[in-house]
Formats: sequence, C-alpha cells, structure tokens
Amino acid sequence: MYGISYYDLRHVTGEVTHIDIDNGIVESSGTSFFNKAVLRVLVKTGWGVLQIDNYTPCTGSKFNELLDQAARLAIVTEEQVVLGDVPRGILPVPELKEDPRDVDIEEKSRLLAEIEMSAVREGIINRRANYIEKDEHVRFIDSSDNEYEYWMGRSGFNVLAVASRNGNVQMGYEREHSIHGFNLRHQQDVGRKASEIAVSLLDAIIPKGGKMRAVLDPELAGVFAHEAVGHASEGDLIQEGNSVLSGRTGERIGNENLTIVDDPTIPEFGFDPVDAEGVAVKRTEIIRKGVINAFLHNRESLASVGNGCAGHARAMPGEPPLVRMSNTFIEEGDATEAEIFAECKNGIFLKGSRGGQVDPGRGIFQFNAEYGYLVENGECTKMVRDVSLSGEILTTLHGITLCGNERKMSPGYCGKGGQSVPVSDGAPFILLCDAVVGGSGVD
Amino acid sequence: MRWWVAVAWIEELIREAEKSVDEVEVFFVEGESVSADLKQKKVSLATTSRDCGLGIRTILKGRIGSSSTNNPEEWRGCLKAAIASGKLATPQTWDGLPGPADIPMTPLVFDPKLAVEPQAARELLDSMLLGAAEHDADVTAGSAGLSTTRVVLTNSHGIRYTDQHTGVSVSLEAIRDQSTGYEFDYSWALDRIDPVHVGERATFFASESAKGTDIPSGEYNLVLSPLAYAELLGNVFVPALNGRSVHAGRSKFSQSLGQPVADAAISMYDDPHIPGANGSTVWDAEGTPTRRIDFIKNGVLEAFAYDLKTAYRYGKKSTASASRGGYGGLPGIGHHNFVIDGKRSTLDDEKVIYIHNVVGAHTANPMSGEFSVELSNAFFMEGGEYQEPVRSAMFSGNVFDLHFTIAGLGTDTRTVGSLILPSVKINNQRIIGK
Repeated sequence: MYGISYYDLRHVTGEVTHIDIDNGIVESSGTSFFNKAVLRVLVKTGWGVLQIDNYTPCTGSKFNELLDQAARLAIVTEEQVVLGDVPRGILPVPELKEDPRDVDIEEKSRLLAEIEMSAVREGIINRRANYIEKDEHVRFIDSSDNEYEYWMGRSGFNVLAVASRNGNVQMGYEREHSIHGFNLRHQQDVGRKASEIAVSLLDAIIPKGGKMRAVLDPELAGVFAHEAVGHASEGDLIQEGNSVLSGRTGERIGNENLTIVDDPTIPEFGFDPVDAEGVAVKRTEIIRKGVINAFLHNRESLASVGNGCAGHARAMPGEPPLVRMSNTFIEEGDATEAEIFAECKNGIFLKGSRGGQVDPGRGIFQFNAEYGYLVENGECTKMVRDVSLSGEILTTLHGITLCGNERKMSPGYCGKGGQSVPVSDGAPFILLCDAVVGGSGVD
Repeated sequence: MRWWVAVAWIEELIREAEKSVDEVEVFFVEGESVSADLKQKKVSLATTSRDCGLGIRTILKGRIGSSSTNNPEEWRGCLKAAIASGKLATPQTWDGLPGPADIPMTPLVFDPKLAVEPQAARELLDSMLLGAAEHDADVTAGSAGLSTTRVVLTNSHGIRYTDQHTGVSVSLEAIRDQSTGYEFDYSWALDRIDPVHVGERATFFASESAKGTDIPSGEYNLVLSPLAYAELLGNVFVPALNGRSVHAGRSKFSQSLGQPVADAAISMYDDPHIPGANGSTVWDAEGTPTRRIDFIKNGVLEAFAYDLKTAYRYGKKSTASASRGGYGGLPGIGHHNFVIDGKRSTLDDEKVIYIHNVVGAHTANPMSGEFSVELSNAFFMEGGEYQEPVRSAMFSGNVFDLHFTIAGLGTDTRTVGSLILPSVKINNQRIIGK
C-alpha cells in the first residue's frame, strides 16, 4: 500500500572480546554480545529506515509489518531516489591462520601481559595494552532476491607506553590489527618499540612550523591519501555538493607519478567481501596518473553523480550504510628511499599517525604525525615531536614529486556520521614539496 | 510504575547472581529515537530505532567481572560471561557498591512534550531551512533527531533507581563556493533549542567566510569561540583530570594537586545539579549520589574525578563521576555538567582573530598537550563586528600552557556536549598563515 520499490535488510550478530591490562593489572576482560539489524525501505518519496535491536529473522505477515513500519516513516521525506544498476557477487573471506575463537581467554590474557611487560624500560611510568576481537555474522537480503551471508573476524592489540621526566610526559603507541587471525604471539618487539619511542620523545624538539620539504613514511602518507583525497571522493558528499572534487573529473590534480586507489577486495584490514548494500566490491582508481578519475559510490550516489563505481557502502552493525573508504593507498612509484631523502636534502621526515580530519567542501585537511626527524643534507638528524601537516586538496597533491617503490598498509578505524568502520591506509615513502608543517616551536 | 513490572526479570537476575558472587550491579537502558536527514534542501531519509542494552557487573573477592548484551532475554548468558570475566581480573581493594540513598527520583532532563515522531523531526528541519534562507549559501546536509530513554540501575545492596531522559538534536551544513559553515544544537527539551538560529548560523558562516583572504604568519591575539575552546579542552585538558589517568601517570596533572594550572581568573567545576542543564542528575552511573566537584579554583588544581573502582584502589572517595558510554556500556570516569567560569568581559574591544571552530583537535597530544589545528570560520573582529574573514591558517600551541595566558573570558555561555563554557581570549599566539 505504500508503493515500496525496494528494500534491504542487513542483520549482524556477534561477539566482542576484550582484555585491558594497565601496568600489570588486568583491569577488565570478557565477552559481550550483540544482535542488530537495519531495514531500509524505498518508496517514491525517499527512504524509511528501521534500526532493530535483537532482530529475529521472520517472513510473511510479520516481515510485512516491519516493511510497513519503515515505509510509514517516508511520509516526511520528499526526495525521489534512483538506485544505480550494479554488479553482484561475494568474495570469499580470507582464511584465518589461527582462529582467535580457538584460543581461550586465559592464554590471550597471558600473551597480552607479555607484550605489556615488554614495554618495561627505564623512564617508562605507565604501560597499557588492549586486545580486541570482533566476530561478526552478517546476513543480507533484498527485494531483488539477492542474499549474502558471511562470517568475518577481526582482532588485534594496542600498546601504549608513557615516559615522564620533570613534568615532560610523552607517549609511544603501537597497534597491530588483522583480518588474518590471532596475532598476539611473538609480539614483544611491538611493546619494546612503544617504550623506546616514548623515552626518545623526552629529548625530541618541537620544530618551528612553516613551509618545507617533507618525507612521509608509508603510514603517514597513507593517512594523507585517506584525508586529502579519500573523503572528498565519497559519492554522497559529491551528490550534496560538499566536496571540492565535485565536477572535476578529468582535471589534473597531481603529477604523472600519483595514483590513489580505494580497493575493498584486497585482504587488508578494510576488506569487504560484499558491500553493505549487497553490491560486488571493486577496485576504484580515484586519481589515475595525477588526474581525477573516479568517485566512491553507493547505489544512490552512483545513479545521481556517475563517474565511479558502487560497492563502497559500509555500515556498523544496525546502522544505515554510508559511502566509505576501505583500503586506501597511493600506488608505488620507482624511487628508492635513498633517492627520496637525497632529493629532500633539507626538510623534515614524518612518521606514524595520530589521525587527521578534513573539511571536504572547503578542501582543507589536517593530520598529525607521531614523531619525526629533521632532514639535513639528506640525513635524518634531530628527533622531532608534535608535528602536523595541513593543506588544500586542490593544490597540495602537486607537491608529491617522488613515490617510493615499496608500499605498506596500516590498519585503523575511520569515523563518519557517527559510525566507525575498519579501514587500512597505505603508501610508499613519498616526498612532499611545499608541505605546510605545523609545530609550535620557536627559533 | 508500569515499566518496572516489565523488568521484573532483573530481580531474578540479582537472585541468580548472588548464588555465585558477592555483589552484582545491573544497568538496563531502553529507548526509542527518530531522525530525519536532509540531502541539500530535501528530506531524503527518515529513521527510527528501538535500542536496548543490558550491562552486568559482578564482584567476587575484589575481582570485577562484566559483560553486556542488547538482548535482555539472554541475561543468563550475559551473567555467566560476566562471572567468567571476573575470574581473569586482578583482584583489588573493594569496599562495596553503594546502597540506596534518600534522593528524589524526579527525572531532571525529561521533556514530556517531546514527541518521538518523524513529523516532529521534519518540523525541526523546516525551521532550520527557514533560518538558513537568510544568507546566500547552499545547504548541503542536515539532520534532526528526537529520542527518549528509560534507565534502570539496580544492585544487590537494594538500589532500584529509575530515570527517564529525552533528547533533541539538530545540525546543518552549508557551503558557498569553497567556504563551509556548520552549526548544531542539542538539549533534553524542545523549547531549549533554536533550530532557526542553527540554520541561520550555518549559512551565515558559509557565506561570510567566502570572502576570506590569506594572512601572513605571525603572532596574533585570538578569541576562541566556546566551540573551538571546547575542542581543545575536551580532547586534552578535561581527560587530564580523570583520577585513573592521574594515578596511572598518564596525566600531565599527576603531580600538580595544589599547584596553579591556569590563570588565576579561571575556575572549572562539575555541577550535576544545574537546573535545566543537559547532564544534570542526582545519581551517577554506579548509584553514588552526585555533588559538585571543584577541580580548579582561581587557577589552582584542587580535585580529580573518581569512580568507585579507582577510588577504592587509591584510597580515595568516589566523586560520583561514573558515567556510561552508550547502551549497556560499562561505567568509567566522566563528568556531568563541566563548567568553565570566571570574571567575564568583552574580549574584542581591540582587534582580535575570532575562531569559530578548528579542524583536527583530536590529533593533539593528550599527554603533553601539544596541538596544531586548521582554523575554520575565522575572522578579524572588533567591537562585536565580524570583519575580514581569514581564508585558511594553522594555529599551533600547547593546551596546558595556553591556560596560563588566558586574557579573559567572554560574556557568552554555550553548552558544547557536556561542557558549559564561554569564549576565551588568548594573546600573542602563533598563527601559520600563507
């Protein structure tokens, strides 16, 4: 009676296991459970969406009642939504090397404690290690008889070391998260690294901000790709008119050597076997050889905007899908690390990431490195801390003059519209000329 | 009340738990929400949700176990998981969950007039669009939401507390050329938000900033709006007052009790009893009766925030600062209405750069306080007049040091999340221009 032209239902059940160890004390550990579904119904005036806790799969009149409930919401909507035609299919989820569910929590706790203990070092006043394991069972159906089901497990840990001297408090933070299975074994090096960085940072200097040449390590360059290009290429923002990349397909934005890709198909932390609208996932080259090439889409933004492919809709359990990145990276170039530092000559080398943010409509982004080094005559010299980079999407990419020949991906989480989803970012080492570096240091 | 009957299974849960642990605490929350979203000026999507969450904590010989589920019918499995998790926890000094106190159970942040209906969300969107039409900028996206929540906190010492909350939120994004504007509002009561004003401000900032020009790098006198100040304060300064971080050595303030940590004109306190404030409550997430906490008095650090667990461990008293993140979340240390106050005055008698918002405050170093952010909707301002907008610039500094250079607090007051604060003036700050 409501003229439902389409519906889909995404039902996710699962468990979350966590362990939190703080200075040798098991603060908390254990398992929690969830069961969430989201039902989207499209009528001629727009979307009605039901978010349902504790969904019990149902059919017949019970299911029809849910459809009616969702459709009734659309009395307040007024937008004709067209859904693009899309390819279907599901990829196999990569096999786990060791299934975390087969390891009991006592052993997990013991292994995490070993990592936490490995951060003990002179000068370290606090250590903290967290383990997190999420198992999701996803079921998708839609009104076009598409049906998908998969199990996906993600697990990993963070370790934080805090160093303090005369009121100077610094931290080292390392994280390892994976879709390939249990990863707590033989990881003491990670704890040692966190503590080593925290202690070294006590003697690091804060550089003076300004324009300079910067070498970015693969992790930070990956965040750069994510913040500076990824978000602005999201089809929903393009559709709303809230991205500086809107209407610029075919325009040159960087050098020939710059290709930036989002690819949910590769077995990294942002892997998606099928997207949250039941669309087959596919590699999208956002920037190809320096030219704006394609946008990331869901079915609605694909139909409205074009230029790109769907399969980029993602959602937290029980939440409506949004256009999101998955595994975002700058493609390898042909420069060696030595060539990049030699070409930089005098500038700054920035490593690791404390996250970033972008205003895609304004085309302004900001992100922060964990630490770095001054580069003098092509050599890393003094360690620096608390350095950020900011820039403008439409001009900064031209500054990437060299891309290294080896790429590395780093796992993380990305927030948008109140939802946080697993992603990975990556790149080779890159050289960024005219980087706007922020630091509160003085001469 | 009727709803109490609906959760009679909680009594059964407590009886069951008492067979194997010393104490048990059950937190149950259930709610409805509705929202409607704008895509440009059209309502494109309406959503409703029904959520519930059950959080169980068990204590056996100082070992604290916990679990949660959003399916209360499976409370037995959840209880089992909580008890199992307690076996792994390191035992700690524990002097018991609180017993019932004689406190009023009248809901403080509940608006009976607030209807959780899609039409109500639609009306809020229409009001925002009305306000947005005042300035020459395009609406890109917007949202309006209404919610109602029922909360039950019970424990094996006889606490049977219930509460009801309502919430209404609006936000709007606008753009003119490459200049964006964003504004939002949130309250527990419908008549305490102003959607027309939110719409008007969003397009005002987008259109006003469109004429922005670059400025040279240098030192400037700045006024941070309550929003910009809240970004820096909330990411760095407020977490440093968390008792757990303090005793773990993760806070800059670990050794600072009794010392000046801000200009003598500044005071900061958590007052859970402010009439009409969003975070007002008479009991915290563990059932401890709330009271005012004076963290910073005239610039001097006087207190930290504690929940039961941290207080027992370090021989302190709970400051009733326990709060829960989301549905079925476990209690941690938070605050209710965190107020920044002091002598107020006008801040722009001489020319300043007024900063409405910043980009990237969450990337600040939470330990050392170092930050570097991009400015959003910044203007030269004098005598209350917005003058030349600044197109783009970076502001770097240290959140802790900055509090010693505060030159004044504005006459305005705004609620941002759980912070209640004015604009703040800081002189001679380094801006990296173009």
